Amino acid sequence: MKKIFNGLFYILKFILLIAAFGLTLFILIRMNTRLSKSMVSIIPELIPYVLLLIVFIINMLFKQEGVTKNLFYNLTCSLALFTIAFACYRAMFDSNLVLATKYGYNIDFNFFDNFIAYIKILIYGLIFVNILFMFKYKEKKQVTD
Amino acid sequence: MKKILLDYINIIGYAFTGLIFGLTFFLLFINFYHFEELKYETDMTSFNATTKADIESKLQTIKNNISVYDQSTYTGNNNIYGLNNVKIKLESCVEAIESEEMMNYFNDNEISILDTYNLLRTYNNKILNNCLVMQVKAMFNSAAVATLPNYNIIKPYVDLNADMLITSLSYVENNLENSDHFYYTTSNNKNNFFNIVDDSYYEIIGNYQDTLDLLVLISDWYRTVVTGG
Repeated sequence: MKKIFNGLFYILKFILLIAAFGLTLFILIRMNTRLSKSMVSIIPELIPYVLLLIVFIINMLFKQEGVTKNLFYNLTCSLALFTIAFACYRAMFDSNLVLATKYGYNIDFNFFDNFIAYIKILIYGLIFVNILFMFKYKEKKQVTD
Repeated sequence: MKKILLDYINIIGYAFTGLIFGLTFFLLFINFYHFEELKYETDMTSFNATTKADIESKLQTIKNNISVYDQSTYTGNNNIYGLNNVKIKLESCVEAIESEEMMNYFNDNEISILDTYNLLRTYNNKILNNCLVMQVKAMFNSAAVATLPNYNIIKPYVDLNADMLITSLSYVENNLENSDHFYYTTSNNKNNFFNIVDDSYYEIIGNYQDTLDLLVLISDWYRTVVTGG
């Protein structure tokens, strides 16, 4: 059972990472287009996603079981990325957010802007924890005659 | 030694994962709660019906008052440019109040936060800006209107009230715009202190009624001027 859930959340975290990244990128591009700002300024907001993807790939390539078979970590990752995707979804589609309609962009940049700090806290936190879980003590195999 | 160190690192890892898990749940729940809070709708059927009847009756009074003047039949001594000016400006205000865009709000039965905000924006643009500032305040600054009887008595009163009406809804607007941020209202708060949808709506309509009362007062003054009462 644990194995099935772990496998599920392991795949889910990749899908949600792509979804959260895509939605964040879309909103940030719209924000910068609106303000006629250079697209270079959105890079710092996207770095955490790239770093998280890199550590996920490292986990996968080096078969780091401390992370890949850690149900709690995979669950937390999925939840955190789902929360980010949900906040982005609300900024775009929640019609009851009054400022979404005010400037005619149909995206509530104000609401999203409040969430950027949380996105960074969550993703940098996940990267930090991932690095901690990479180190795992391996028992030396005893050679018996 | 290495094993103990790695065990500690693992414990720290789990502790931080727990913290992130907690923060994530907090953010997720507050998002759902906020989402549900903003979906709140209130039934304004009877209030809207009363308000609409009230507005229509006040509009009728204004129309009756300004209809007493007709330039082609007027035989009084007052400055006809001033009288024409007041009539045109008041007619513009009546047109704005009677506009479909404004009146449609009173046909809604269920009012959401977005309806309240849209009403406020339309009211600000159509009535406060286009009527009070562009018509009424401009009218009382015109030299022709200044020649009309009792101008010196009514002008300070109109200026004071108009200024008050123009600025008095800014806190309601700020409140409504701040509802986009996560906030921690409770049912108790909503019932006893400030319900952002209901109370903002009542505030806007209250201000709207005050504006109409001011226009009725101006039209009463105008009637007195024309009829020479």
